[in-house]
Amino acid sequence: MSVLELVANGLIFSSILVLGSIGLSLIYSIANFANFAHGDTMTVGAYSALVTFGAVGGLGGSVLGLPYGFFVALLVGAAMAAVVAIVTEKVVYESLDIGSIGLLITSIGIAFIYRGLIQIGFGADFTRFDIVALRPIEWLIPYGIRVTHHDVAIVISAAVLVGGLHVLLQYTDLGRKMRAMADNPDLARISGIRTKRITLWTWVIGAGLAGAGGVFLGLFNQLAPRMGFNLLLLIFAAVILGGIGSIYGAMLGGFLIGMISQLTPVLEMVGIPIGIEYSNAIAFVIMVVVLLVRPTGIAGEAT
Amino acid sequence: MVDDIKRKLNRRNLIKASGVAGITAFAGCISTSDDDSGDGDGGEGSDGSDSGGDESGPYSIGMVDSLTGSLSAFGERNQRGKDLALGRVNELGINGQDLDIIVEDSGSENQGGISAAQKLVNQDSVPFLIGAVGSGVSIAIYESVIQETDVVQLSQNSTGLNLTDFPGLLRMSPTGRAQSLALANIIADDGYDSVALTYVNNDFGQSLTDAFVDAWDGEIAYNSAHDQEQSSYSSVMSEMNNSGADAWLFITYQAEFTTMVNEAFSSGYEAQFYGADSAQGSGVLEGTPEGSMEGMKITLPSAPIEQENYQAFASAFEEEYGQEPTSWAAYAYDCVINAALAIQAADEFTGAALQETVREVSRPSGEQVSTFEDAHAILADGGGASDVDYQGVSGPIDFDENGDPVGFLQVVTVEDHEYVDAGFIEG
Repeated sequence: MSVLELVANGLIFSSILVLGSIGLSLIYSIANFANFAHGDTMTVGAYSALVTFGAVGGLGGSVLGLPYGFFVALLVGAAMAAVVAIVTEKVVYESLDIGSIGLLITSIGIAFIYRGLIQIGFGADFTRFDIVALRPIEWLIPYGIRVTHHDVAIVISAAVLVGGLHVLLQYTDLGRKMRAMADNPDLARISGIRTKRITLWTWVIGAGLAGAGGVFLGLFNQLAPRMGFNLLLLIFAAVILGGIGSIYGAMLGGFLIGMISQLTPVLEMVGIPIGIEYSNAIAFVIMVVVLLVRPTGIAGEAT
Repeated sequence: MVDDIKRKLNRRNLIKASGVAGITAFAGCISTSDDDSGDGDGGEGSDGSDSGGDESGPYSIGMVDSLTGSLSAFGERNQRGKDLALGRVNELGINGQDLDIIVEDSGSENQGGISAAQKLVNQDSVPFLIGAVGSGVSIAIYESVIQETDVVQLSQNSTGLNLTDFPGLLRMSPTGRAQSLALANIIADDGYDSVALTYVNNDFGQSLTDAFVDAWDGEIAYNSAHDQEQSSYSSVMSEMNNSGADAWLFITYQAEFTTMVNEAFSSGYEAQFYGADSAQGSGVLEGTPEGSMEGMKITLPSAPIEQENYQAFASAFEEEYGQEPTSWAAYAYDCVINAALAIQAADEFTGAALQETVREVSRPSGEQVSTFEDAHAILADGGGASDVDYQGVSGPIDFDENGDPVGFLQVVTVEDHEYVDAGFIEG
């Protein structure tokens, strides 16, 4: 088993984690609470894409083994996740005045509601997109790398989305306002930024990325009502490792946690007898160690 | 401000209340199965009748069943199997007398099962007790009521592995361990001497794996647990591939197995797959690409549905109840037949005497018979317990020294992405 193969696996898994982490961190920085429904927002995106893909079909051609229709489904999935998040924000979170702990508990309840509705609609069983599974890319196998075109598509799409977010944050008016609000909401409001509108945009972007991550998770693995929730713990680890509230920290944290969890077999290769069933534990140990050294996370700013 | 304080107080109360609720809930879980009960005088046979054609009344045995509670579906199946068997037995009778089964409800819970067994053993003085469904209930009954007496206990439906640790507690349904033994034999017969195995990280996966490792003579190139519901198992797949073994064994559940097959497929790994029954299902076929697990072999606990006596049982069952029987009804049916034969073969109707015969009537040596009528004829002719080897409708029975029956398993293989029957084996 080559390390390259594990790195490739780690890269794919990280791509999905990063998409989830950014949204969680964004929402934390603006709305100021840990949104436990974030994982299930990913599930919402995945199932919306499943329905859309079933309705529109392949639409003729394909890129990287993925029919055009899948990309349409991806957009719809991201959009649906955003819509569901906005509605939840408007109906529930915005009207509640119970502090961040209260919101946190509420969001756990919201997570159960999302999951319950999906389970009512689609059953508790797992399912998959109706896309032909691919074999690994031939010419990479001699290098010990076994990835399919789908995996490549996941990594490229995630990179495009993350790059797009970077441009948005750094070079657009909305991005500047979002950063201002994340730094200091009161100051932002005083300087004339309509903070409510920015909060909504944050939900749209955060939940949209989560929805896209959910679609990729469904493509990479399978769709099940618990798929997003099962990933949530790792997403939290990534966000906290990167420095909660920091978007670039979340990217880095997602990348690192994904890599660590997939690179666990290396431990046994170098003679440390720790099996892969402990990969989550290892990821969290590393998170705790980093926090002991840097209490604000890797990219977090000291307050 | 006042509102704020009130809210804080409320929250504090809520936390307190939930803490208390939590403690209470946990307290309910503490089992009291080791409380001493029953003075053990049941089954001494003081009121039992001798076997020589005494016409003083029917032979009464007891049955603890899940008539209500979470396992009541099993209880219902059991009762159908029991009634069918009782009808067969009482057509001929035992030494000219009828068999009577006093059924008590366990409520599918330990305490209910213990009370039911105490009533049967201490008040009704039954020397033979069929019970129970749940493995925990069976063990609770054994430890609290049966252990210190010579009453025979035969569980109809418990499959938990730890029943094996109680040799005095017999059961009709095979232990999950039988599957591990069968898999070890199948893989060896297919000519592999090295196997890579992964199991789900819980009691089920661990115990089946331990049993497999005990039974497997060859090399185990890879043996590792995986957690349930992970988003990716690609590191498990690459480690299994790296182990160099050509036979891969999966002791896991459907969703986890589906993920693994997909990842093995998209990584281009090729191996002969084997699996426990928990890794089999239509969801797996739908969730995996064509050809991704071609030739995989899976063992499933099953009644010997191709055997003549099972088919006779099944058609009688369908006639009576208008539906196909389940294995669970077949186990209850065999419990009653086995009990009836043990009574007929015993010198007297006491626990001590039945202990002698209950195993003998359904294991070698002796003439193999597959119906109560045939076995009855041998015993009525003056034959002893060891002259009969009753072959049950649920399998050959043949209790071993731990009180477990020989497991009867169906082997299925995957051909053209469908499960295909590949015969039956004893494990």
